[in-house]
Amino acid sequence: MNCGEGIDTRLIEELYINLDPIQAGGRLTVDAMKAVLAYGDGYSVCDNCEKPFRLDCIKKPPLAKFHDDLAAFVNMDVARLVPGARRGFQAVAGTVVKKGDPVLLTAFSHYTEFLSVEQSGGIPHEVPPDDSQIITADAVATRIEEINRSAGKPPALLYVEEVDYQYGNLHPVKEIAKVAHQYDVPVLCNGAYTVGIMPVDGKKMGADFLVGSGHKSMAAPAPSGMLATTSEWADILFRTTKAKGDITGRTFGVKEVEMMGCTLMGVTSVGMMASFPHVKERVKQFDQHLKRCNQIVDALCSIEGTRVMSEYPRRHPLTRMNTTESFDKVAKTHKKKGFFLLSALRERGITGIISGSTKVWKFNPYGLTDGQSQYVGDMFVEIAKEEGLTVQP
Amino acid sequence: MSRRAAEAVFQGLFLLCEIRGVLRETAPLHTLSAEQKAKTTKTLEKLEKQISILKEELVS
Repeated sequence: MNCGEGIDTRLIEELYINLDPIQAGGRLTVDAMKAVLAYGDGYSVCDNCEKPFRLDCIKKPPLAKFHDDLAAFVNMDVARLVPGARRGFQAVAGTVVKKGDPVLLTAFSHYTEFLSVEQSGGIPHEVPPDDSQIITADAVATRIEEINRSAGKPPALLYVEEVDYQYGNLHPVKEIAKVAHQYDVPVLCNGAYTVGIMPVDGKKMGADFLVGSGHKSMAAPAPSGMLATTSEWADILFRTTKAKGDITGRTFGVKEVEMMGCTLMGVTSVGMMASFPHVKERVKQFDQHLKRCNQIVDALCSIEGTRVMSEYPRRHPLTRMNTTESFDKVAKTHKKKGFFLLSALRERGITGIISGSTKVWKFNPYGLTDGQSQYVGDMFVEIAKEEGLTVQP
Repeated sequence: MSRRAAEAVFQGLFLLCEIRGVLRETAPLHTLSAEQKAKTTKTLEKLEKQISILKEELVS
């Protein structure tokens, strides 16, 4: 069934339980689906755009209020919508990082964080994790000291992930930010996997900048995201244009330089806004989501030779597993080789594991119901038994 | 201008979104609980009403 010439209708979420680690938190709510239908046209939020002609000032649909609500939701002072977390990184780097500045990231920083540093001419340095794959405040302090000595100045900016994309581990941002501030290093907290999934308090963490992802964690269409900051930084980060045409003499009002004027002008902003009441509620249910995740991890770990590489018990549902001594042993002799696992899962209506992966792989069961998470755990065990692996009762 | 027809189109689409939500919640087996069945039955009834409006407004 096509939804356009040569474009298959995507039925993954309707037909399967999808465990894809980056897709779980971005699945649309029913209200977002409705908003997508009503606001699909390009400039659809601009019907009632009045002076001062900026997205965050539009009252109908209630985008102005949504911006205020978003800032309050993460306990920051000012928020803007951005086309994906990466554009939030870019805006902050464009403001704070100058050519040749050292910038501190972590061993778990997303590639777009690096690109934002590169675009601003900064020099990236990384903080290594400890043996538990956690970024510690001590490691941050050590790296700042080293950079201070080698570059003659502290980093212009520290990027730290509240939860990283590799292990889904929760890092001590509050302690890290405290250390960074002792060296006057501003802190960008990457909440791409947390804002919209679990309670996030930007000021309590000590973040100067907080970035969230709409399509990763706020049940919103892509590309969407959020950039929030404190009143201390707001006028700097969201500075307005001073540009003037030398022939026409045109000026451009209150358009914000780093935002390139307006950002999400249709289906993305309204989809995000439509999901927002549900997102606010679901973060309160985070413990339930964790419980379901831990049940699946427990079921997996009952398969002999299987271990969880992320911190355990889980504090975030994005989870990294190691099945080198279980499913990968099966893959060595299976006619489908490493593809047997995803194939067996798909036969049972489960998808989202990287095709061919039987050694180290990630999954994210965020948003599943009790029944669905029980089913996922049972199916992993069923596949293991079917392939002759030992399962602990 | 038929505002009634335009609204019926969106009401119908929104009701289908509700059913889409049920499909997602119950994937992959799509075994609906009694509560989900009752809710879906009501949704389908409402959908039929919107289709009737469209017939009245546009083709009768």
